[in-house]
Amino acid sequence: MNQLETIIEKEKETSYSQRNKELFSFYTLTLINQEQASRKLKRKLWVSLLLITGSLFLLLSPISEMMNYFILNLSSPSTVDIFKMAAVSYGFLFVLIVLLKKRITILS
Amino acid sequence: METDEELVRRTLSEGSHHFGVLIQRYADYLFGLGMRLTSGNKELAEDISQQAFMKSFTYLKSFNSQKKFKHWLTGIAVNCYKDLIQKENQHLSLNVNDEPSYTPHLEGNIDFFNLIKPLTEDEKILFTLKYVYEYQINEIADLLNQKSGTVKSKISRALEKLK
Repeated sequence: MNQLETIIEKEKETSYSQRNKELFSFYTLTLINQEQASRKLKRKLWVSLLLITGSLFLLLSPISEMMNYFILNLSSPSTVDIFKMAAVSYGFLFVLIVLLKKRITILS
Repeated sequence: METDEELVRRTLSEGSHHFGVLIQRYADYLFGLGMRLTSGNKELAEDISQQAFMKSFTYLKSFNSQKKFKHWLTGIAVNCYKDLIQKENQHLSLNVNDEPSYTPHLEGNIDFFNLIKPLTEDEKILFTLKYVYEYQINEIADLLNQKSGTVKSKISRALEKLK
């Protein structure tokens, strides 16, 4: 037991130092900042992808609707309805684009 | 001199450069802990301290300022050590005949490293924290998320092995 205590006491007195603390600190901070930047970029990409997918969906949906109308009801196409729907969709698309722009400005 | 808690608060509100002070403050402490746990493997000890600082920065928001930053950091470093050992073991279980051999750079108090050699990784951690760093049983239990009774019995088992 005495020998055990002696070894532990000796170990307590031993001090360990990093080779170059300044460099270690600088390097670790650089790694931390790199990781933070990559996480931010990933978040930006996900948000952009979601907004772009939503925008594309809305952009393409009135076109396909119009095509359907013309194909199915060639004799009596209700142009008023088509224009109403197009106006709503493009309006929504405009809002999404504005949001996307704002989001990108905030994240950067 | 700013307290650790103050520096954590400033890191969260003003930016990562304040964290640099904390890194410099605890670099030697974590390196020493790493050296003791890895039986003097300098490279592994450096890896452990770096990983611990990076992880602590990632989870800094979850730090409870009622507790000591040093204790919290110690818990993270111990977890990094466990992860590293697990990875090393997985690596060793693979067939590494074709790989060039590597001899780690060992330094420190050989007597102590030889003393704790027969202990399991878990026992090594508990024994070092209790007898070298003089942490209380409840502090060790708190920083390692274990029950005080479990820590106590593991430490006595470790002591029995060493006698």
